[in-house]
Amino acid sequence: MKHVGYIAGLLLLTAVIGLIAYSGSKLCIVHCALCISSKVDRLPDIYPDYIGVTIPADIAPLNFNVGDESIAQVDVVVRGSKGGELHAYGDYADFDINGWHQLTRQNRDGKLTFTVCVEKDSKWTQYKDFDIYVSDAALDDWGLTYRRIKPGYEVGGNIGIYQRDIHSFDEYAILTETVVPGRCFNCHTANRTNPNRIMLQMRGEGGGTMIQKDGRQVWLETKTDSTHAAGSYSYWHPQGDYVAMAVNSVHQSFFTGTKQRIEVYHTFSDIEVLDTRSNQLLLSPLLRTDDLEIFPAFSADGKYIYYSTSKPCRVPAEHEKVKCSLCRIAFDAAKGQFGETVDTLLNGPATDKSYVLARPSYDGRWLMYCQSSRSNFPIAQNDADLWLMDLNTGACRELTEVNSNESDSFHNWSENSRWFVFSSKREDGMYTKLYLATIDERGRVSKPFLLPQRHPRKFYREMMDAYNCPDFTKTKVNLDAHEAYRQVFDNRRKAVRIKN
Amino acid sequence: MTKTAMRYTNWGLSMLVGIGIFLFWYLAYPHALSYQEQYQLFLWTWDYFLERISLPGGLADWLGEFIVQFYYLEWLGALLLALLFATLQRLTAKLLPNGFWCLFSLVPPAMLLWLMGDINVLLSLPVAIVLSLALCSIRMPKQLSIADIIIVPIAYWLIGPAVWIYVILRSLQWGWWRKEESGKRKEEGGMWMAKGYRLLVIGYLLFVQLATYAWLLPQWPLQMAMTGLNYYRIPLHYPQLKGYDKDMYELIRLDYLVRQERWDEIVHRAAAYQVHTPLWSNCVNLALAEKRLLADRMFDFYQSGEDALIIPRTRDLTSMLPSAEAFWRLGMVNSAQRYMFDTQEAILNARSSGRCTKRIAECMIVNGHYKTATKQTALLRKSLFYRCWAEEAERLMKDESKINAHPVYGRLRQLRYKDSFLYNYEEIDKMLGLLFQNNPQNKMALDYFMAQMLLKGNMQGFVEYMGWVQQYGGYRQMPLGYQDVMRCIQARGNVAGSPYAKYVKRMMERRNQP
Repeated sequence: MKHVGYIAGLLLLTAVIGLIAYSGSKLCIVHCALCISSKVDRLPDIYPDYIGVTIPADIAPLNFNVGDESIAQVDVVVRGSKGGELHAYGDYADFDINGWHQLTRQNRDGKLTFTVCVEKDSKWTQYKDFDIYVSDAALDDWGLTYRRIKPGYEVGGNIGIYQRDIHSFDEYAILTETVVPGRCFNCHTANRTNPNRIMLQMRGEGGGTMIQKDGRQVWLETKTDSTHAAGSYSYWHPQGDYVAMAVNSVHQSFFTGTKQRIEVYHTFSDIEVLDTRSNQLLLSPLLRTDDLEIFPAFSADGKYIYYSTSKPCRVPAEHEKVKCSLCRIAFDAAKGQFGETVDTLLNGPATDKSYVLARPSYDGRWLMYCQSSRSNFPIAQNDADLWLMDLNTGACRELTEVNSNESDSFHNWSENSRWFVFSSKREDGMYTKLYLATIDERGRVSKPFLLPQRHPRKFYREMMDAYNCPDFTKTKVNLDAHEAYRQVFDNRRKAVRIKN
Repeated sequence: MTKTAMRYTNWGLSMLVGIGIFLFWYLAYPHALSYQEQYQLFLWTWDYFLERISLPGGLADWLGEFIVQFYYLEWLGALLLALLFATLQRLTAKLLPNGFWCLFSLVPPAMLLWLMGDINVLLSLPVAIVLSLALCSIRMPKQLSIADIIIVPIAYWLIGPAVWIYVILRSLQWGWWRKEESGKRKEEGGMWMAKGYRLLVIGYLLFVQLATYAWLLPQWPLQMAMTGLNYYRIPLHYPQLKGYDKDMYELIRLDYLVRQERWDEIVHRAAAYQVHTPLWSNCVNLALAEKRLLADRMFDFYQSGEDALIIPRTRDLTSMLPSAEAFWRLGMVNSAQRYMFDTQEAILNARSSGRCTKRIAECMIVNGHYKTATKQTALLRKSLFYRCWAEEAERLMKDESKINAHPVYGRLRQLRYKDSFLYNYEEIDKMLGLLFQNNPQNKMALDYFMAQMLLKGNMQGFVEYMGWVQQYGGYRQMPLGYQDVMRCIQARGNVAGSPYAKYVKRMMERRNQP
């Protein structure tokens, strides 16, 4: 009988432990609720700052850390305005992906209320609840593509182009330095987020322009005797046959002061269009002037090319004189011809500003661009901000909802034009990170949120790369890196011809 | 030879190898250890281990880097290398027949030592070879040779293509040659099955490598998948069997002495042996400037040209380091940060550098960029030898007044440029002049300014700014080097035995060369 008692006791103990393990999270809520020492009427200090942001349903969980690193535990309960509840407990708020997706789907066009309790010095403190809004606008794209590079100077180290599933935390390499050692590459561009058309530019020895159409890579030499350099800063025509490119020579100089590190400038820049069917370059004298034409982008209907242009000056000495105007020129895709006049939408010299990186939304409603006090390379300018032009009225406004005191630049639209991604140096002025925000029909923009990571503080603290050239991708990009290696080292390029 | 004698001979050889290797590295080539150590930053984290182990050869790579971190203390690095080489000798001896054959166990350590003369050979290669031999030395009954189906892919993943050593030696042990009890080898003519099986294992390893390349290494070239991802620092290149190039190791030694601030030793060595490269001039001039001998003795030593003080940006992992150190000491903090950053990025196997990361963090601290500096110190905190410094730096960053009062950082804040303008290497002399004007206490900037004008052959500027030397230079009399220059100017270069006249003549000859 004595043994039976022991066994029964053991079973009971096992059952209790099992119960705790099974419903651990729920017990923690009780634990937290019972042990609250104090409630404070202020919002919790969390990293990343997700308070009041708007997210799409099905985005990866917005895990966060408490700002104070000396806390013992954090307990977070999320309740949806349309029902549903999720709980996280531990060193940081780490939500279950499936539970999070279910909750965000259930609360589309609603909000999630977060109750945060923090244990520190054996005392629990409950902070004021905060909300995160779930947009009614879907973000249907699979993920993001971007380049990761150390925010250095002139030597690009272990750079790589990656893609990230925005519904989870998974990142995949598209092309990295390991497979093409010693090469610099960027300007990866898909056609309106669709990766069945990709263009990629590789600089230096063995460089070239890669066009991948429906999975087949073609490597071109886009430099010709009369165009002086290979094409870069590219943008696809919506029909997927043409690519607009800038042809330029990019350089950097470095400041001696402590505020701005780098000035990026171009000694010349023209714009051309590549017909990817015939490998012919289409040129216009209006886009090959002594001025520096740069950063082309086709309009949503493909009938115009937006671009920036600045007067030539003696760079780097006169770097402060680089003021870009925002212009557009007509383009006839059927004939492969340019218009004969240029419209100036925003005049840089007249307003003493520089307008670059025009990115029309794919629904033709908006034009987002970068404004700074100078330069045609805004990511290096601390005062670079995002602005929005209403293409129906021509009215422009600063996107104060998303801008910061540091450089906010290089933006791109989601396929349905309801979301945009941009890069910002707001955290430390050096390591660029990606932020997403939504825009509604009336042009109202939400507070942006930092690209979610599983353990955000650890991830971003240990991430020694900067993100640049972000874009959405409709589906996962498939690029055969082994084939890219063969093409790069074979160094055989198809030459392009200039169309008469 | 009796068994006892054999045992003592083997131990004697191991001791010989161990002591020889220790003395070789510790006394003759400590700078080579420092060189290897500065191009990696071993982190004591699980993530770091997983990152290494996620590639074929990852364990050898991780172990190699683990050992290299201890090169920070040269005696410890030399000791660990001695142990590694002694292990290699013992494992080789174990595979050889008894008798005088044991002398051949010295061959692999000697060959490896020769191979490591190529500074880009990473320690992961010797580690992988040792691991492969260790695997061979595990006694396994021949009936269990089927276990190679499991062993070969696992071993390939852990130690990389060095596993070929295991496969070939096992084939020799089991397939083609049979070890008779008497120790005599003879070919086994009838064991075609066994031979066939060993050929199959060789084919199997080839298949494993190709399959790994095709499915698990989408971002690596075939060539590297077959020959090793992490045995050599430069991708798609292979070791050069040139041994220890005297000039190259002299340059490495000078950079090592700069890192350790052993200025007297640099000047002493420079007087004895000169290597005609800008890097050599950069190191020697920096040492002279630190000893305030630049004005006196600069042209007593080889000067490479206008780049003898500061080298322009160069894409390699060594050339810019002495210039970065000069920038740092001059107070050109941004340029020091830039050169260190670019040096780190030039490490072609994509490793971080403890030395560079630390200096980058220091530059950021001087510039007040604490958020980015904390990112660097957070990394250094996970290392063994930079941890204490990183923790101290983080404490410092919490108190601005302590940084201002810091003997190095506080001083550099006084020396650095007050205004922000664009750096221009073409006008480095003017930049040095501005730096001096910015703070006339910066005597090193004054010495560099005057020296740069002399290197450029700007006599007019030199004479014009001699007043600065008299007013701020702190010299009791005009430095000997400047006296020589003045004589050259007055005599239009016709001064017999003048070091500066020789320099100018050499530069003119160089310019006139087609």
